[in-house]
Amino acid sequence: MRSLQREPGVLLALLAVIALVAMFIVYPQVRVVLTPGSAYVDFLSAGSWKTPLLNSLQVMALSTTTAVLIGFVFAYAMVYTDMRWKPLFRLIGILPLLSPPFVVAASYILLFGPRGVITYGVFGQTISIFGLAGIWGVQTIAFFPFAYQLIADVLSRSDARMEQAARNLGAGPWSVFRTVTLPLSRPGLGAAILTTAIYVLEDFGNPALVGGQFTVLPTQAYGLISGFGDLPSAAAVSTILLSLALLLYVAKIRLDGGQSFVTVSGRASSMPRPPVPPWLSWACFAVCGALCGMILLVYGSLVVSAFTLTFPVNTAFTTSHFEYVFSGVNGVALRNTLVYGLSAAAFSSVFALLAAWLVQRGAWSGRRVLDFLLIMPAAVPGLFFGIGYATAFNEQWLDWLNRGVLIIISMIFWNIPVGYQAAVAGLRQIDRSMDEAATSLGASSLRGFRDVLLPMLGGSLRVGFVTTFVRAVTTLSVVIFLFTPGTTVATIRIFQLVNDLDWGGATAFTVIDIGLAIVALSVMAVLARGRIALGASRA
Amino acid sequence: MTPQLDRRTFLKGLGVVTVAAACGGAATPTATATAAATSAATSAPTAAPVTGTISVYSALNQSTNDQFFAAFKTAYPGVSIDLLPLAAAGELQTRITAEKASPKADIFIGGSSEFHDPLGKQGLLEAYISPNAKDIAAQFKEPTGLWTGWYTGIFGFISNNDRLTKELAGKKPATWDDLLDPAWKGKLILPSPTLTGGGYIFIATQIFRFNRDEDKAMAYMKSLHANIAQYVATSPGALTLIDQGQFVGCPNWSHDILTEKGKGNPVDLTVPTDTGFEVGAISIVKGTKNLPAAKALVDWSITKVAGELNVKLSNRGSVRTDVAAAPGSPSLTSVKLVNYDRQWATDNKTRLLQKWQTTVGL
Amino acid sequence: MHLRLDHVTKRFGDTAAVDDISFEVPRGSFATLLGPSGCGKTTTLRMIAGFYDPDHGDIVLGGKRINELPAHRRGTAMVFQDYALFPHMTVKGNVSYGLRVARVPAADRERRVTDILQFVGLAGLGDRWPNQLSGGQQQRVAVGRALVLEPQILLLDEPLSNLDAKLRVQLRWELRALQQRLGMTFVYVTHDQDEALSLSDWIAVMNAGKVEQAGTPWEIYYHPRTSFLADFVGAVNLVPGTVREVRGEEVVVAFGERAVTVRRPSGLALSVGREVHLCVRPEALALRPASADPDGVRLPGVVARRAFLGDLMRYWVTVDGREWIVDQPDPGAAADFDGPVTVAVKPERIHVIAE
Repeated sequence: MRSLQREPGVLLALLAVIALVAMFIVYPQVRVVLTPGSAYVDFLSAGSWKTPLLNSLQVMALSTTTAVLIGFVFAYAMVYTDMRWKPLFRLIGILPLLSPPFVVAASYILLFGPRGVITYGVFGQTISIFGLAGIWGVQTIAFFPFAYQLIADVLSRSDARMEQAARNLGAGPWSVFRTVTLPLSRPGLGAAILTTAIYVLEDFGNPALVGGQFTVLPTQAYGLISGFGDLPSAAAVSTILLSLALLLYVAKIRLDGGQSFVTVSGRASSMPRPPVPPWLSWACFAVCGALCGMILLVYGSLVVSAFTLTFPVNTAFTTSHFEYVFSGVNGVALRNTLVYGLSAAAFSSVFALLAAWLVQRGAWSGRRVLDFLLIMPAAVPGLFFGIGYATAFNEQWLDWLNRGVLIIISMIFWNIPVGYQAAVAGLRQIDRSMDEAATSLGASSLRGFRDVLLPMLGGSLRVGFVTTFVRAVTTLSVVIFLFTPGTTVATIRIFQLVNDLDWGGATAFTVIDIGLAIVALSVMAVLARGRIALGASRA
Repeated sequence: MTPQLDRRTFLKGLGVVTVAAACGGAATPTATATAAATSAATSAPTAAPVTGTISVYSALNQSTNDQFFAAFKTAYPGVSIDLLPLAAAGELQTRITAEKASPKADIFIGGSSEFHDPLGKQGLLEAYISPNAKDIAAQFKEPTGLWTGWYTGIFGFISNNDRLTKELAGKKPATWDDLLDPAWKGKLILPSPTLTGGGYIFIATQIFRFNRDEDKAMAYMKSLHANIAQYVATSPGALTLIDQGQFVGCPNWSHDILTEKGKGNPVDLTVPTDTGFEVGAISIVKGTKNLPAAKALVDWSITKVAGELNVKLSNRGSVRTDVAAAPGSPSLTSVKLVNYDRQWATDNKTRLLQKWQTTVGL
Repeated sequence: MHLRLDHVTKRFGDTAAVDDISFEVPRGSFATLLGPSGCGKTTTLRMIAGFYDPDHGDIVLGGKRINELPAHRRGTAMVFQDYALFPHMTVKGNVSYGLRVARVPAADRERRVTDILQFVGLAGLGDRWPNQLSGGQQQRVAVGRALVLEPQILLLDEPLSNLDAKLRVQLRWELRALQQRLGMTFVYVTHDQDEALSLSDWIAVMNAGKVEQAGTPWEIYYHPRTSFLADFVGAVNLVPGTVREVRGEEVVVAFGERAVTVRRPSGLALSVGREVHLCVRPEALALRPASADPDGVRLPGVVARRAFLGDLMRYWVTVDGREWIVDQPDPGAAADFDGPVTVAVKPERIHVIAE
């Protein structure tokens, strides 16, 4: 604490972070939970949450396992192999992140349902994808990109020297992977597993669409809110979700075990990674290819739907859906989506880095609490988060506040966990001597953070930015209670079109939404590269 | 030209009108809108011109929203509408509850009265008995004016033609009991009773069908549960699944089924006997900053002109006896209805849904 | 005194990493903290740099107590063991970083960076990236980056430990020359006694969080106060013995069947019967044929084995059942010994350690 007093800048930053977290993460949740009445307790004692809880745990175990495994294969293939078509796979791998889940799940049903275009139309099979198997499959595809992003970031920062050393000691590629690569990626893996598990736990869209009669906690919470208007009971469900998140969090702390995983020490190395055998490259290529093929099929069907009258019944070509999307309020929604998504992503990723730095590098008590609070939003169902904001910040004295700003703030803090986790994993791989070098050269801690750590954490920053952006532009549940006529967003419009049974319009809107997101991300990528190069040549 | 393309072209034209109107400029009405305006003006009771902006939370379909409010604008040129469309009445209800500290809506329109009534009980609605409500039967309006019914929807049954013929010998259900036939196992879906207004009305309908013998109704729901593959989160979502033939049949709103059929989907509508219906409502949110304009929208919604426009746009029925049903669509007088006690159904909603959940084990 | 540590203690949990140490470093001297890993030397250095707060005691730099001064205001530039070069900056970027932080005007900055690169022998490499440099070059960047700020004091944390032996020796001389040219105070941490002895004006040998002994390299090497120290700073023969007699400035120490009269270490009170160690450096011993009768102490023994080390030949000679290490310089000039020999040592080369 003494060192904090000595650097008022850091103290100020810390106080600001704590204040913001208290105001925008803790307070809205508290407001919802503190709804008067005994319904909260009654609901818990009635025990109707037990089956959904068990279901949620089951789904979490299954989907997290497969999503992390596939994410790991994908990341390994990207970082370690000289597999062909990498840029293409990278782009396709990110697609599942870029679209509102309810559209994708609907597309899965269209393709793979009992009368799916593929399952029935091509193979003549009537299979039921509704229920646990359906949730498992769809969530695996939907969430592996999160795991992939986090793991790839960690793998690419691991030190090739360690692997060379292991190869030199006689370890084969597999055993290097098992004994060096894997243990070195442990903090990143821990973060990836935790984050993925929490997202799976919190996922509402997929279980709602393909869950059949398989109820999980978020669908139960949604039912309580939407069907019964029963906020206290929904708060109870949300509390159960949060408790699970807390358990996962404790497990993660245990997993990391306080070991040091520093692999960037500032002693520069230009050593290449040991080559992997060709068969492994090809195996990775096959896995990534199959996965990407599946994803392309789903997104291809969205494009086809967007250009046909009523897919799959009437497949006559039309551009009328697109003309509709560009008319009237829809254009506003697209613009808002971009503005909100980009602002939220920029603020969220930088804020997450700052917070991660304060927690990871600081030596003040209460770090663990802040650490948990920054991961917590991932376990709060978006719907609940949105209601929290609608309740807490819909006050007369706050009416001057533009609703768009509130939406951006909600997106920032709902998505903090991704950027935060990525930043923590990144920081743990950078030796403290890097910060200290800057300090000993006269830079204050904050200055050193800005000049030295921030550029080195480019990967984490990018992960935070990209995932926050895509989650912000694809979320429906957070904004559904916050948007106003002038601050409507694409997901709201798509939801409206789907409910209006305008599948053509909904898919056209989705295609444009995804296209815009890709363009926005590409521009950001180019800009970011330019900025880093600029910073480096500034000397 | 296909009907689909037709609608698009029309909507585009309307988009221009809406934008122009929102900008405060003089609207250039299309032929339809002009006609509506002329007749609306004659039935509008307000003498002094109503002005200002109102914020409207609408659970209506997008296509209905666009034209319905454009027509209102021509009747009341001084009023601008800030439309917040969300075709999920439950969310809008929750939202109004969450916003009670500083209400953002002036009007809540669309959605069954079941979504409006609890808001009224929580004191979040402004009571208003429109002079035009005298033309409406008592069963369609809240006595103190907390909400006013303006359209009706009848619960029917959608089936996928191809699969019905192949797998159920083309036999459509004549009564709800027909759905208990094991031949339907895994082929039926139902809009979720907890998440959708329709799903709950379906349960309530069964209770009234068994003369309020809840145990019998629950026994029916339990037997039906065995045949149901999924309780779908939204009513329209269930229709899509039948359109695609993923499942064979689903109890759902007649007007929406007709709309789907009209788009060329291979589906058909049948209305089993002893069915239930909804009353679509409009209500004024307490704390409105423009009560006159809000009242104007309530007044206008229950005019003949508005009723006819809505019937044309959505295939729904009107609460007015002088508005004819859409061609080919069932009306409250053409089908056999259960004796639906709306107030009782609304008051007992939570209890019955919980009972249902316990019965079927969800 | 330029730097003074006064009863400084630093605890991590229950263990005292640095346990109540005090020392002073004169201005312009090359001071070294020497010790095995875990002895607290790096912790001490980091407390001077401001990366750790001492639990007790004062750190005084240039007459000013700096305990409360944040690390970046101390003017204590540091060279890190792994260099901690910023990988996203070029050599110039790294070297000019501190100047940019200090808002030195661009022209001035440019000149100073060029000068310092010249100074550390990296002229023309300014646009390279750290990963394009050899280990030695990276080390020079690290030093240049710290020196360019003209700090009051330069802290170096095992800066040579990652280099190969030859380069290490070469850079050692360069560092020493640099320090003398600049007249700057260096505080150097190492576990390598050769490095410490060859570089330093002053050495503090640390063990288990305490300073065992501080002084000139000469004092440390020839007059160690403890056997740990004697052993740590170089090869040594430590022979246990007992004080038999104290005669003014001389003591008679018995070891085994023999006794030797040696000078009493100044300031060391010895009483008869006290257990001591005799400390003799191998190069102070000489080998003679068994038949020879040299001056001083004569120890008959047998050569057990020997090792050729280039500049000297090292013998292990068994005397009274105990092995003595004897170094003979310039092995090429004389024949090798084998079998029975006499080990000869002048009494003044024997140092007594009281423990």
